[in-house]
Amino acid sequence: MKDLPYELWETVVGLEIHLQLNTKSKLFSSAPNQFGDEPNTNISVVCTGQPGALPVLNREAVKKAVQFGLAVKGKITLISRFDRKSYFYPDSPRNFQITQFDHPIIRDGSVVADVEGVSKTFTIERAHLEDDAGMLKHFSTFAGVDYNRAGTPLIEIVSTPCMHSAKEASAYAQAIRAIALYLDISDGNMEEGSLRIDVNVSVRPKGDKKLRPRIEIKNMNSFSFLEMAIESEVKRQIALYMANPNVPVEELIPPGTYRWDPETKETILMRRKESADDYRYFPEPDLPPVVLSQSFLDEIAAHLPELPHDRFKRYVTDLGLTEYAASVLINEKQLCDYFEAALKLCSSPRPLCNWVMVEFTGRLKESGKTVTTSGILPEHVAELVRMIDTHKITGRIAKSVADEMVSNPGLSPEEIVKQNPDYQPVADLSEIEPLVDRVLAENPQSIADFKAGRDKAFAFLVGQVMKLTRGKASPQIVNDLLRKKIQ
Amino acid sequence: MKNLHHFSATELRDAFLKGKVKAVEIARHFLDRIERHGDVKAFLSTFGERALQKAEALDRKREKKLPVGKLAAIPVALKDNMHLSGEITTCGSQFLKNYRAPFDATAVRLIEEHDGLILGKTNLDEFAMGSSTENSSFFPTHNPWDLKCVPGGSSGGSAAAVAARLCLLATGSDTGGSIRQPAGLCGVVGYKPTYGRVSRYGLVAFGSSWDQIGPLAPTVADAALAMEVMGRHCEHDATSLDLPPESYSLPKDLKEVKIGIPRKFLESLQPEISKNYFAAIETMKSLGAKTIDVDLDILKHSIATYYILATAEASTNLARFDGIRYGIRSAKAKTLDQVYEYSRQIGFGREVKKRIMLGTYVLSAGYQDAFYKKAQKVRTLMIDAFEKAFSDCDAIIFPVAPTGAFESGTITDPVAMYLQDCFTIPANIAGLPAVSVPSGFDSRRMPLGIQIYGPQLCDVSVLQYAHAYEQASRHARIPPRYEA
Repeated sequence: MKDLPYELWETVVGLEIHLQLNTKSKLFSSAPNQFGDEPNTNISVVCTGQPGALPVLNREAVKKAVQFGLAVKGKITLISRFDRKSYFYPDSPRNFQITQFDHPIIRDGSVVADVEGVSKTFTIERAHLEDDAGMLKHFSTFAGVDYNRAGTPLIEIVSTPCMHSAKEASAYAQAIRAIALYLDISDGNMEEGSLRIDVNVSVRPKGDKKLRPRIEIKNMNSFSFLEMAIESEVKRQIALYMANPNVPVEELIPPGTYRWDPETKETILMRRKESADDYRYFPEPDLPPVVLSQSFLDEIAAHLPELPHDRFKRYVTDLGLTEYAASVLINEKQLCDYFEAALKLCSSPRPLCNWVMVEFTGRLKESGKTVTTSGILPEHVAELVRMIDTHKITGRIAKSVADEMVSNPGLSPEEIVKQNPDYQPVADLSEIEPLVDRVLAENPQSIADFKAGRDKAFAFLVGQVMKLTRGKASPQIVNDLLRKKIQ
Repeated sequence: MKNLHHFSATELRDAFLKGKVKAVEIARHFLDRIERHGDVKAFLSTFGERALQKAEALDRKREKKLPVGKLAAIPVALKDNMHLSGEITTCGSQFLKNYRAPFDATAVRLIEEHDGLILGKTNLDEFAMGSSTENSSFFPTHNPWDLKCVPGGSSGGSAAAVAARLCLLATGSDTGGSIRQPAGLCGVVGYKPTYGRVSRYGLVAFGSSWDQIGPLAPTVADAALAMEVMGRHCEHDATSLDLPPESYSLPKDLKEVKIGIPRKFLESLQPEISKNYFAAIETMKSLGAKTIDVDLDILKHSIATYYILATAEASTNLARFDGIRYGIRSAKAKTLDQVYEYSRQIGFGREVKKRIMLGTYVLSAGYQDAFYKKAQKVRTLMIDAFEKAFSDCDAIIFPVAPTGAFESGTITDPVAMYLQDCFTIPANIAGLPAVSVPSGFDSRRMPLGIQIYGPQLCDVSVLQYAHAYEQASRHARIPPRYEA
């Protein structure tokens, strides 16, 4: 297919993110909220929909939802309500889900995310509490249902159709995940399904006000798949519109639910939505309205941790990190916490960031570990940077010390340097001076160049001395000596 | 000493506490009666062994002078839509004929903890949907006053069991009158507490915002005793009232009590019912009550409102019966949809299917505004009307039902059957406490009853008024064929 005129089309994306809350027990029962156990072990009469069982709301889940609402600057509904959403499926133990239909606990929030160096604000229409379904397991001759997941608290976060590229969608979703991790309301583990994304995609000619029909891609479980799925769907839709300019748009893109096939890299139709599903929502009579007091909200607001975007701004403005580095750090909560721990003991944030994100990460790559799982303590990384700052070691030696920190995690850089004389800087003038003299004697042209104002020549001379000391001389001392001798 | 089944529940408990009778004798006596009087068909299951063991333990406790519960040695029956852990809960339905309850209903647990002797579980209209117990998928129950007649419903098994003195206390559940109407038709006391007073945990739901468990018993004092035990906050039911348990002391007069009469609403009463109703009012006046007319005309919409809202809730409450996790599963089913379709087809009876369809319809897109939402608004108006009425009076008196017990099979028009509940549904609409007390007999010598409604939370006063009326009128009898 020839190249499509993407520049003439606008992508419109909205996301529905299902975020599992990491509460101790389930949303409506005391059964443990725990992933990965033997099927049907973390269940109660409520999660299996036994007759006579009744839902009782978990206050911890409400608190976590409110934390999220405040973190995205949303309006918290002081009196919200649960509704029954009816549909038959074996993973739904009562054949209705308990969700919030017209009185969600959170409305009108916003999230700022960095999209390729530009800060963009995305808007959240609503977020509501609901319970997760169980999971079907297919065997050779039958299917079973595992209700361990049934009743896990979710918040469903519905954005407005405010994203206009795959990158924006991914940045928004990552920002939501980062907020959840910073608040410690979810483990955000996408592989285990703690964060699942449904994406609605449409395109329209640039300048058009009216939205064209959208399709939904269900259950994206990685950010890269999310981006690929959107890109592929946008391409499919534009190609269809281009090839059929005279067919009504509703016929070209009828509403439907798709899934992303990572093998073929295509969106695959699961089912058409012939008519709107009728879930027959009505207020859940077993649960009284959720009534929140302003003081409850104030209390939660007063204890919100630093949120990812605030941290991003601090990194860029106060610490002078690049936007790229800052956005990678904030989206990797563990790495970021590691950086924060090291930062407490180190006054050079930029080099520290480089050591954490580039030097150590690179050294650990082959082992499959990250700096946070390597056993290398953040205070040791801070110490290493401090030793460079105070000229206790040179940058070059620091790299060797870092190698040893990787092979002996837990050993402090001070210790490593102490044990290896090669790493100890030569500060003895009597050792360095003859070498300086030798370099000066061998490079008269450079001296002349330097005197003529060429700084590069000086750097060359420093380099020559360093070479002779095998990097161990303190560059400051070499500098001082050279200057003194040339003048 | 008189026959054990001539005692009221409270009297028999006292006789046991005084050592006049052993719990084992009581258990044997009533288990024997249940067997001898199988013609009533009140019970779906009995727990002879279990009851005798409990009785023996209770006798030992009493001999050792250990403390015993408030219901000690009282023979109790449970409506078979509430769970007794380890026993089958059928709900009168083929769907659950194999369903063994995995936990105790809170009300049942409290009865056990207070040393009631649970003898068995009683028949009911399938999933409590009906007013005659003819909708039980197992067999109909008969009225002990005339076996040709229905006992009312849906707690017909419980009402008949108490009336025939096969037990002295039974539980019922009341969604639109299912405790009070059968109590009235069988000549016993039936009490529906304020919504939320008794936990619904372990009661198989019909209409969640309407259902309430309550007692059926020979006397008001017995019902009050049962309420002292069952009327407790329960953390497993989010609609359970978080209030301390009440104590029910029962005075004997109605001095200065203002009684409301919804005169206009009762205009078209049958003469016999009307006569009985106003005679009861006269008795109350003779006890010092003042009467006042209250405007509750809006209640003429209560049946329509009820059959929209309660069936809407029921259609979702009964969705869980799908053949996947428990209950019956059609052997013919080959696909998932067939499991649902065939299992529900064979598992549910006609009335249940009808109500599920009605409830599904009124919630459907395009109809919800005209039916469900409008009915919710009407419900709110009725709640307001009651609030206004209760600002002028302490209690409101209704008949229990438009007629006495009718002969089995004679009401075939569903709407005529639904009309049986026209005087009981209003209490469920507004979550009010209401008691049905015997008020005499019709010309066929079938029992009649009147109801006393009180404002929400006034459970104690409602039972106090009922007790005073009962003591003054003394209409309660044991049906002749069950006296011996």
